[in-house]
Amino acid sequence: MTAVVELILDGRKVTAPEGELLVHAAARHGTFVPTLCHDDKLEPYGGCRMCMVDVEGAPRPVPACATRVSEGMVVSTNGSVTGLQRTLTEMLLSEHLNASPGGRPNELLDLANELGAEAPLVLPDAKRKPYDDRNKLMGYDPDACILCARCVRYTQEVMQCSALSIEGRGGHARIVPTWERSWLDTECELCGGCLSVCPTGAIYEKFEEGTTRPERALEQVRTTCTFCGVGCQVDLNLDPKTKRIVKVTSKDEYLPNEGNLCVKGRFAFNFVHHPDRLTQPLVRGEDGELHPTTWEHALETAATGLRRVIDEHGPQSIGFLSSARLTNEENYLIQKLARTGVGTNSVHSCEST
Amino acid sequence: MDAVRLAGLLSLLPTERTRLLDNLGRIRREVGPITPELSDALADHMNIRHGEVHEVVSFYSFLQVPTDAVRVCTGPMCDCRGARELLEQNPGAIEVACLGHCDLAPVLTRGDEIVPNVTHSTNDGPALGLGRRDETLADYEARGGLDVLRSLPSLERIIEELKASSLAGFGGAGFPTGLKWESVAREAGPPYVVVNADEGEPGTIKDRYVMELRPDLLLEGTLIAMRALGAHEGYIYLREEYATSRERLERALDEFHAVGLLEGLTLELVIGAGAYIAGEETAMLESMEGRRAMPRLKPPFPSQVGYLGRPTLIQNVETLAHVPAILRNGGAWWAGLGKGESAGTRLWSVSGAVGRPGCYEAPAGITIRELVEEYADGFTDEIGAIVPGGAASGILPPSALDAPLTRDGLHEYGAGPGSAALQVFPASYSPLRLLAETMRFFAEESCQKCTPCRIGNRALHHLAEELQHGEAAMTREKVDEWLLAMEKTSICGLGQAAPFPVRNAMRWWPERFAPIEGAVQ
Repeated sequence: MTAVVELILDGRKVTAPEGELLVHAAARHGTFVPTLCHDDKLEPYGGCRMCMVDVEGAPRPVPACATRVSEGMVVSTNGSVTGLQRTLTEMLLSEHLNASPGGRPNELLDLANELGAEAPLVLPDAKRKPYDDRNKLMGYDPDACILCARCVRYTQEVMQCSALSIEGRGGHARIVPTWERSWLDTECELCGGCLSVCPTGAIYEKFEEGTTRPERALEQVRTTCTFCGVGCQVDLNLDPKTKRIVKVTSKDEYLPNEGNLCVKGRFAFNFVHHPDRLTQPLVRGEDGELHPTTWEHALETAATGLRRVIDEHGPQSIGFLSSARLTNEENYLIQKLARTGVGTNSVHSCEST
Repeated sequence: MDAVRLAGLLSLLPTERTRLLDNLGRIRREVGPITPELSDALADHMNIRHGEVHEVVSFYSFLQVPTDAVRVCTGPMCDCRGARELLEQNPGAIEVACLGHCDLAPVLTRGDEIVPNVTHSTNDGPALGLGRRDETLADYEARGGLDVLRSLPSLERIIEELKASSLAGFGGAGFPTGLKWESVAREAGPPYVVVNADEGEPGTIKDRYVMELRPDLLLEGTLIAMRALGAHEGYIYLREEYATSRERLERALDEFHAVGLLEGLTLELVIGAGAYIAGEETAMLESMEGRRAMPRLKPPFPSQVGYLGRPTLIQNVETLAHVPAILRNGGAWWAGLGKGESAGTRLWSVSGAVGRPGCYEAPAGITIRELVEEYADGFTDEIGAIVPGGAASGILPPSALDAPLTRDGLHEYGAGPGSAALQVFPASYSPLRLLAETMRFFAEESCQKCTPCRIGNRALHHLAEELQHGEAAMTREKVDEWLLAMEKTSICGLGQAAPFPVRNAMRWWPERFAPIEGAVQ
C-alpha cells in the first residue's frame, strides 16, 4: 500500500499518495495548475515552465508537473507564480506566428485568454523554416509549434519509433521529422499520435484543411473502431450541419487504447460515407436481384436457408467465416453460435491467415 | 565515397550509448562532417533510433562542420577587438560564440591551429605555480608532484583539510568542495568522478592555462579524488575547441599509464562538440550519456544521482588543481593565502584593455584595480564597462574598480565573481553593444528546452540591438517582468543568471535605455 502524505495546498490541508505528481494531487483537490508540455502518457519533462508553483523552502518556484508530493509540503499555486505564468505565456506568444493552422484547439491561446496575456513583441527570428510533406494525412506548421516536445516524446516513449526530432538549439531549434525527411521516409506509421498530443495544433489532420468548422464546433459520437479486434474506443467528430465525419479522435481515459490510435482508426474513415457501402439488409428475390428489406425478414431468410442445409446434410456441413474487422467480443459470439447454436466446429476468421 | 570509408571505421566503433559523442567525433575527423546518411549508419550500428542521433548531431555546433573549417570567435571580447573584420577577411568562416582564447583576442582557428599562436602570460602562484611549464611527468615530480597521491591521507583527513581550506568550486557556482566530497562519500558503492573541462564562459581561460601548462597537476587532483572516494572510473569532459589542452592531457595520461599510476582505474577524455551548455554539470552528464546536452531537473543532484544514475563527483579543472597543494601544505595554509575575509588564491582570467592579458594566480578578495595593476601591467585605455567574472556575472561601471572581486564585494553592484574572468572593455566600446553581444551569446547557447531561457534571451538580445538604434519594443515594466521570469523559472544557471548583465546595464547606463517606455523613473 502506498503511504498517504499530508500537505498544505493554498492554505488547505490535503492528502495525496506519496510520490504523486504535484500537478495531479492539485487537480484531484480541485486546483487547476496550467500546463503545456505535460502529458500523462509521458515522463515528466518540466520544459514549458507553465506549471511553476511555490513550495516553502525551495529557492525558486518548482514545476508541479515534475515535482512529487512529500509529507508536510507547503504549496502555493496562486501567489507570485500567477504573474510568472502570464509572462511565460507572453513569451510563447512572441514566437507563435500561426495560432491555428488546422482548426485544432489551441491550449496556448486558452491560457493567454485566461491569464490576460498578450505578446509585447514579435521576436524578429520567430519565423521558422517551413516544412512541407508529401503525405496526405498529416500537415505540420513549425510556426505554430511551441517546442513543448510532446510530439517528439510521444514518438520516442509511447510509439517507440523514430519519426520526429528536436533539431538544433537556441532560437534555431525546431521540431521536424527525422532529418527533415517526409514522414513517409521515416519510421513513422502515420498513427497521428503526435498530432493528438500537440497542444497548439501545429501538427494537424491535413484533409481537414479548408473546412471552416473548428474542432470545438464538432459533435462527438463515441464508438468502437471497426478495423480490428482490439476494440479501440474512438470519438467520431461530426460536422453538426452535414452530419458527416470530419475527423476521428480518442481520449486518454478510453480503454483499452488510452487515447492512442493507429493510422486506420484515425484516418481511414472515409468508407463510412462511401456510396457503395451497404447500409441496410438486402435479400435476393426470385428475380435474382437484391432488394432492400427489414432485419427480421433478412434474418428469417438466412435462418431458413441454414436450417434447410443442416436438415439435409447435417451441422458439420456448415462453416463460419468471421471477419478481422469484428471486435473480439463479436468474434467470440460467432464461434459460440457455430459451436452451440449450429453444432459445427468449422469456424475460421480471416485474421488467422 | 563516405560510405566506403565509414564501412571500414564502423566495425571499430563501440556500440554503448555513452560512446555516441565520441563515435560522432571520430567519424567527423576520419570520414567527414556528419551527414544524414552517416548519422543513420551510425545509429543502425549502435542500435539507436535515427531520430535520436539526428537530435544529438544537430545540437552541437561542430559535428556537421569539417575539421579544417575556419572558425572566428565572436565572443564579446573578440567582438570588441575586431572579430567582425576577421569575419570579413575570412569569407566562409564560421562564427563561434567563444573559443576560450580571450587573452589573444581577436582569435580564429584553422582546424586545430589557433591564430594568433598560443602564448601564455601568467605568474608563479603559490598553489598552482603556472609560471613554470611542466614538459614531462619528470618535470612535475621534480617540483613535488605526486607526493600527495603517493602517500594519500585518509578520506576523513582529506575532507577535513578541504573544509579547513574553504575551497569552493571555481566553475562559477562556488559550492564548497569539502561538502561536495563528503556528500558523494556518504552514498553507497563506487561513485564516478567527472572533471568539467568544458570551459566556455566568455572571458574564461583559466582551465585552459592549467591543462596546457601543468596537465599533471589536474591529473593528480583527479586521481586524489578517485582514490579517496573509491571511484574506478573518471572522465575529463574537454571542450572540442581546446586542441592544445587535448594534446597535453593525452601526453600526460600516457605517462601516468606508463608508470602504473592508473592501474585498476579508468581515466578517459571525453571530447565535446561545441555547446556552451554542456558545461552545466547535468547537461554534461546528458552529453556523456549520448544525448542532447540539456540540463536535468534538480533535485536530485549529481552527488546522489549523476552519471548513469550513480553518485558522481563533478569538479571544475581549477578546483581539482588546487587539491594537491591544499593536502601538501594544509587547508589552513591555503585559506591564509586570501586577502581580508577571503580564503585562498584563484586563477583570474584577464582580458581586454590591459597591458598583459593572461591568467594569473592571485589572492581571492583582490580588487579589480589591484588585479590589473599588480598582475596585468595596468589599464591601457579609458575604461568603459567591466565584466567581473564571465558573461553571466554582470556588467560593472568604471566606478567599481576598487570593489573586491568577491560575492560580498560585488553584491552592492548586483553582480558576482562568477568564473573570475575579468574583462576590461574600453570606453570606446558601447556598453549596449557589450550587452547585445552577451545576450546574443546566451540566446545562441540556450539548449531551447525551457521557455524563459529560449525566448527571454532572444528578446533581450533584440532589445539591446534595437536600443543601439534608439528604438525599443518593450516597456520597462515588461522588461522587468521578463527578467524576473527568466531568473525564477529557468531550469538551469544559464537562464537564471542571464538577467544580471541586463539589470546591471540598465542601472549603470540608464541614459542608453531611455527609448524604453518607463525607463527613466
